[in-house]
Amino acid sequence: MQSNGGWKGGGMGRAGPGMRGVVGYKPGDSGVSVVVLSLLAFCSPSSTLFFFWFFPSPPSSHAPSGVGTLPRQSPVRFAASVHFLGGSSNRSQKTMLRVLALASVVLLGIAPQASQAITVYTSWERHALVGSDVRLSCTFFSWRFISDDVSFTWRYRADGSRDTVSIAHYAGGEAYTDNKGVFKDRVEFVGNPKRRDGSILIKNLDFSDNGTFTCDAKNPPDIVGRPSSVRLLVFENLPIQAGVITGAIIGVVLGLLVLIVVIYYLMRFLVARRVFSLNVSKHGKKKKEGSQQRQGPAPPADPSKMKAAASEKKKQESRKDKK
Amino acid sequence: MLVLVALSVLHIAAIILLLVATIDNAWWVTSTTSTDVWGRWMLTGNKWNLTDLPAGYPEDYLHAVQATAVLACIFSIIGLFVFITQLFTLANGNRFTISGVFQILACLFIMIAASIYTDRFHVNEHSIGNYGHSFILAWIAFALTFISSIVYFVLRKK
Repeated sequence: MQSNGGWKGGGMGRAGPGMRGVVGYKPGDSGVSVVVLSLLAFCSPSSTLFFFWFFPSPPSSHAPSGVGTLPRQSPVRFAASVHFLGGSSNRSQKTMLRVLALASVVLLGIAPQASQAITVYTSWERHALVGSDVRLSCTFFSWRFISDDVSFTWRYRADGSRDTVSIAHYAGGEAYTDNKGVFKDRVEFVGNPKRRDGSILIKNLDFSDNGTFTCDAKNPPDIVGRPSSVRLLVFENLPIQAGVITGAIIGVVLGLLVLIVVIYYLMRFLVARRVFSLNVSKHGKKKKEGSQQRQGPAPPADPSKMKAAASEKKKQESRKDKK
Repeated sequence: MLVLVALSVLHIAAIILLLVATIDNAWWVTSTTSTDVWGRWMLTGNKWNLTDLPAGYPEDYLHAVQATAVLACIFSIIGLFVFITQLFTLANGNRFTISGVFQILACLFIMIAASIYTDRFHVNEHSIGNYGHSFILAWIAFALTFISSIVYFVLRKK
C-alpha cells in the first residue's frame, strides 16, 4: 500500500501526519501489521474511531462472531487491544481482522481528508522589469471535483499601504478585471479554471506596482482555505542575486580542474595505446603473434585498460630482456 | 610512520585554519562591528545584528575574495583525499606530486584572497579598527599550505 502524494498536499496545515506510514503493510502478516497500523493511526486525530473498530474484536479463539469480552487483568487501552489481536490464531478471525484493518484504514484515510481545506499555491516573490509584463500564477488543490462555480479572486495591496483592492475576479465562467482603479486595462485573466489555473497577466509594469498580490480560490462546496500571496518587485534593471558571481567563479575553476584531470587521463590512455601499437609494428612476426594472443581478452573495463596496457608493455619488455 | 602522521596533521591543521578563516566572521573588527567577506555583525544597543555588507565595498574584489577563499578550502580538502589515495596507489620511490599540486593551488588561492582583502578593503579605516582573527588565520593557513606543498613535492614514498 503506497502512501499517496496527494495526501501530503492535502495534509498541509494539519498537525498529524495522517496515515502516511501505511507503506509496508503486508496482508499476510496480520499481527505485526495491526501493531503498525494501530501505532500510526494513533497519530491521526480520528484515533477514537479506531478504538471502536478494534474493541469488539475477538480476544481469543472462542468468540467467532467478533464480539468478545475484554479480560479483567489488562486495562482498556490501545496497546491491550493490539495484544489481543496478536494472539488470535483462528483463520476466519484473521481474515476478519484484515478486513477490519483495511476498512478502518480506508475510512481513516479518506474520511478526515475529505473535510480538508482547499490549499492555494502561488509563487513567493516575483521580480520584473519596468515596462514589462508579468504573469502571476495561482493554482489550488482540492479534494472535490472542479465544480462549475469555481472562483478566483485577486487582491492587491501596495507596499506601505493598508488597503486591499480587488483587481480580478473569475466566477460562474466569466472573468472580471479592474476597470476603475490603478490596474485599469492592464490586468488580464489568463488562467484555465477547469485546470485549476487562475493566473493573471499584468502588463506595462511601473514602480507603483510594487506590492503584494493575494489569490483566493474557492471550489464549492470546498470553500474553506487560506489565500496565498505573491510579492511583486519591480526593478529598473534586474540585479544579479547575491553569490551568483562568486558561485560562477568557483564553478568555472572546479570545471577547469575536472577538465584537466579528464584530459590528463585521456592522454595517458591514448599514449599507452599508441606506444603499444608502435611496439607491434616495430618487432616483426613473433611480437605480432604475442600481441594477437593478448588482444583476445583485451576489452576490459576502462580503468583497468591502462593497467592492462601498462602490464602488457612490461610483459613485452620482459620478453625482450629474456631474448 | 611518524612522518606520515606529521604530514596528515599538518594538512588537516591547514584545512581547519582555512575553514575557520572563511567561515568565521572576523576579518575586520572594530569596537561595534565585526565583518568579513560575507556579512557584517553590528552591535546596536547590546545586541549583535547581522547586516549586509555596506554598498561602498568594491563589488568585483569582494566576489574575487569570496570565490578564492572558498576555492582554497575546496582544494585543500580534495588534496587531503588525494594524499590518502596516493599513499596507497603511488609506486615506491615516487613523489606526492598531485597532492603537492592541490596544496600549492590552495596556497595560491588563499594568498590571492588575503592579499586582495589587505590591499583593497578598509584602506582608510586603520585608525578605527584592526584585523580580526580570521584574517590572521588566513595568512597562517597560507604559510601552512605552502610548507605542506613543499613537503609533498620533496618527499618520496618509501
